Amino acid sequence: MTAPLRQVEVDAAEAIIERAEIAAGHDGTAELALAIRYENGVAGHVTIDADTGFSIMRALGAADLNGLIGRSWREVSKGL
Amino acid sequence: MYDLVIKGGRVVDGTGAPAFAADVAVKDGRIAAIGEALGEAKAVVDAGGRVVAPGFIDPHTHFDVQLLWDGAAKPALEHGITAVVPGNCSLSLAPLKAVDRKTLVGMFQQIEEMPPEAFTEAFEWTWEDFAGYRRALEQNLAINVAPLVGHSVIRLWVMGADANQRAARAEEVAAMQDLLRECLKAGAVGLSTSFVDVDEHARPVPSRFADFAELDALAAVLGEFGRMLQIVPEFYDTDITIARIDQLAELSLRHGIPTTFSPVFDSRFAPHAAPRQLARVEEQFERGARVWPQMQTRPIDISFSLLRPSLFFARLPAWMRTLRQPLAERLAALRDPATVERLLTDAGPDGGDALFGSLVARGGDGCPPEFAGETLAEIATRRCETPAQALISLSLEHGLDVAFIAASRGHDATDRIGPMLASPHVHIGASDGGAHISSFATYGDTGYLFSEFVRRSGAMTLEEAVKKITSETAEIWRLKDRGALKQGFAADIVVFDPDSIDRGEEHPVFDMPGDGMRYVRGSIGVDTVVVNGKIAWAKGAYTDAKAGEICGLA
Repeated sequence: MTAPLRQVEVDAAEAIIERAEIAAGHDGTAELALAIRYENGVAGHVTIDADTGFSIMRALGAADLNGLIGRSWREVSKGL
Repeated sequence: MYDLVIKGGRVVDGTGAPAFAADVAVKDGRIAAIGEALGEAKAVVDAGGRVVAPGFIDPHTHFDVQLLWDGAAKPALEHGITAVVPGNCSLSLAPLKAVDRKTLVGMFQQIEEMPPEAFTEAFEWTWEDFAGYRRALEQNLAINVAPLVGHSVIRLWVMGADANQRAARAEEVAAMQDLLRECLKAGAVGLSTSFVDVDEHARPVPSRFADFAELDALAAVLGEFGRMLQIVPEFYDTDITIARIDQLAELSLRHGIPTTFSPVFDSRFAPHAAPRQLARVEEQFERGARVWPQMQTRPIDISFSLLRPSLFFARLPAWMRTLRQPLAERLAALRDPATVERLLTDAGPDGGDALFGSLVARGGDGCPPEFAGETLAEIATRRCETPAQALISLSLEHGLDVAFIAASRGHDATDRIGPMLASPHVHIGASDGGAHISSFATYGDTGYLFSEFVRRSGAMTLEEAVKKITSETAEIWRLKDRGALKQGFAADIVVFDPDSIDRGEEHPVFDMPGDGMRYVRGSIGVDTVVVNGKIAWAKGAYTDAKAGEICGLA
């Protein structure tokens, strides 16, 4: 996929999704790869399976990957 | 007189030593001599211009069921693989009480995508214990097998329906230890467990309910035999995986056992993930632990059809909105001109060429045969459409049952992966042979090792690559007298062309019980495969040889 994703300024107040991308899952499905920036500045990555990825996008009302960027990781955790 | 002599080849003996010109003689299933002018033989294979190497060993497969009706684990054997390790990820076909068969079949269907007929039509399920499964396997083997026993089935045997509900009580753990001991005595090469897998209802498999005390107790039994513990860690999260590496190291040191985990993938999105895991592995090896990360050679593809929602479209809001709808609404939307217009706009001004043009129609489904294997750009040209239009119209014409593949979308950075594969502490494996059968082909990783990482990138020499998938694997798993061309070793031999060995194109076949479909890849450049002294594959065809056996263990 080549469509550009928007950039966000990192807010140090809480952990947010800094980047979101489509990843190739080991079972051949498309998965969701998220880069998270925690409030202490540390970056983390997590890959989320398709079903959970859809659940998260639905819970956050995200129409596409751009709708995830800048969102609170705490909010995502609620959607899991 | 020898049974077989392979003449005129370059011997790459599996130890990493430089190739040398020699003949290889076989007698009574064993390598009898390596040298020149060895004498008469009942059969001769001309290996002029070819490499003669030990048979390759695949340490992570799910051929458990297939081996019961296809003792060659086709097409694994034609790629030069002469030994496979089934029973990974906590699942094996024994020990299992008859009453629990349906439960296990559900788990296998989820993980292997095996049709239900595979369990009801293709073999007679006569056993409950591991020794009985071994006897059933041994009747039909063309390839060698080093079977793991699955933690989930051990739990199921001891705890019944509670196996995927709770932690085990002390007396249950003791019963599991006894059962594991029995399986190891019957030839199991180790224990597999999983912290990730789910059954057909998306419920965690039983092994995921074990606490550390249970795993520790079972590892203690593995320690009595020096056998392997295989795990699937939470590979989607690097930090948790590193914690599992530390846990495996603890078990390895405490009980004196080898351990292995898989898969490890390289990721362009998270480029530090795999190196961090491997760095922790290095630290643990320095402490004396044995924690072998398994890394596959092949890149990962994404496959999908419009029958089910896929995150492949996650950058395209109109496509996401449309394809997330229930099937009836989705079909109606895809037939609605206004919706299609929005989809085409979303796909970009190039008609979706950049997004969809390189997708390949896979075949094996509703796709017309004349389009199978073609890119969407090619199909679009033939149909006078844009790739986005072709994706929609072709899918609609066939009830959305047209699968497409986006090739090499993960674990595909050869320049990064090559050095990792070459590391002395990385175990080449994780092929998943025999699993995911209706999603993608899990065969040909060894051919890809030579074509991509020896010939194209030069990440390792031919001798190093052969060693990684022969003697190194045999030593890690303690397979006795296998993995090298040495006098007295089992005559597992592959003759191949080093300039052309590769994996073939992926294609669908309908050879599963119940006319089930699976994707496979044939081999390229593999001339002859010998298993325990018998030619099992030659001149592009399987023979009738059934010389495979359960691997003896050192």
